Amino acid sequence: MIDIRGCRKTFAGHDGQPPVPVIGGVDLTVADHEFVCLLGPSGCGKTTLLRILAGLIPADAGEVLIDGRPVLGPGPDRGVVFQDFALLPWADVLQNVAFGLELRGDPQEARETRARALIQAVGLAGFEHHYPRQLSGGMQQRVGLARALAVDPATLLMDEPFGSIDAQARRSLQDDLLRLQHQHRKTVVFVTHSVDEAVRLGDRIVLLTPRPARVAEVIAVDLPRPRPPSLGRLARFVEIKEHLWGRLMGDPEARS
Amino acid sequence: MNTWQTRAVSLGLAIAAWEIGARWAGAPFLPPASAVAVALADLVASGRIAGNLSLSLASLAAGFLLAVVAGIAAGVVMGRYRTAARLFDPYLNALLAAPNLLFVPILFTLFGASRATQVGAVFLHAVFVITATTQTGIREAPHALIEMARSFGATERDLFWKVRLPEAQPMMLAGLRIGVLYAVKGMINGEMFIALTGLGALIRTHGGRFEPAYVLAIIGVVIGVAVVCSAALDRLYRRPGAA
Repeated sequence: MIDIRGCRKTFAGHDGQPPVPVIGGVDLTVADHEFVCLLGPSGCGKTTLLRILAGLIPADAGEVLIDGRPVLGPGPDRGVVFQDFALLPWADVLQNVAFGLELRGDPQEARETRARALIQAVGLAGFEHHYPRQLSGGMQQRVGLARALAVDPATLLMDEPFGSIDAQARRSLQDDLLRLQHQHRKTVVFVTHSVDEAVRLGDRIVLLTPRPARVAEVIAVDLPRPRPPSLGRLARFVEIKEHLWGRLMGDPEARS
Repeated sequence: MNTWQTRAVSLGLAIAAWEIGARWAGAPFLPPASAVAVALADLVASGRIAGNLSLSLASLAAGFLLAVVAGIAAGVVMGRYRTAARLFDPYLNALLAAPNLLFVPILFTLFGASRATQVGAVFLHAVFVITATTQTGIREAPHALIEMARSFGATERDLFWKVRLPEAQPMMLAGLRIGVLYAVKGMINGEMFIALTGLGALIRTHGGRFEPAYVLAIIGVVIGVAVVCSAALDRLYRRPGAA
């Protein structure tokens, strides 16, 4: 379980600019095996919140606990999937997927076996020896996802992972992510600025205010799982979407 | 036409233009290509090229290897530690900009007409550009990759060996390719100054006798050495996955 209490973060201003408060006191709990989407306008601080969860940067105030233990840095209980994929350009798909295992010190043979299994799981079998630049954006993010899953973390932290991927590939990535999350029983914290994506994927949607980020509202997405492609036609789907759009576009409450 | 055919045609045209241009101009220091070819044949047949070339190549190899080791070590330290960069950047830039001929008389006063002076000249010509490119390559490792590796628990040591160094490799290779060309210049500059052994000394001898065809023939050999070294380095490392 992830427990965020009173989390705050301010970035120092550069070149005489005033400091920028990015996160203004966030309280949030994420249950095991839950899929939570952090939704908010661009630049609202949702990525910063995810980086704090990942242990890549410290919070200025408040507590971030995972299963009761404070986050002091990156850890094997969390796997991060990055917006810009962050694949090693000089390494092939197999080496990229095995990178976390290599850092962990797994023996060569074990990490290859594990990496191959995950390459298969994300639908990239046959591309083991391709290099990132030979793959489409969607395929590159499949590598990113496989790399995060390879170290078998309890939680996946995903930072707008499908933001730069074309609509068709994104849809298929979303479906595969839901399937893999279910199979591997992962907790997912998923940052997005797409209302549609948040409703398709999340068990709950945490709507954040513009900077500095605070929790404006938490919406439980009471839609059935598994979620078929036809989900978008359900009246309830449309209703949640309309509500979120209303909050994002100038609803005064969202700016509190 | 493939690359080699294109190059052969281009070279043939250049030699023809040289031959015609030199005959038309009649300038004593621009002998026609045919005269240079005759001089080269004489130099090779008499064994003067082979003897001096091997001496020159020994200095080149020793000086360049030292420059690679020292340049990469210094570049890594300056790329990795900001304090080191702040301390040494001005000197590095000054030495990169300094006319290379400056080094040889200083070495000569220190080591005399010895092998050390010749190796030192090669070393000093090549080392700074290798340092500068290595420094840039190490420093510019993308933040996204560093952060990704940290998220998987990478230590500083991991970051260096598994992210920064491989990321810097193309830049370092570019530095080595330029460095080897500078090293060849250093070899000739050193030998011409000392005028005792090697191709540079041979250039001085024939230059002193006003035999421009011989001078150009030897310079042609020197350029050949530079081209071969550069191509060999290029072969050594090709970035995988390149389109």
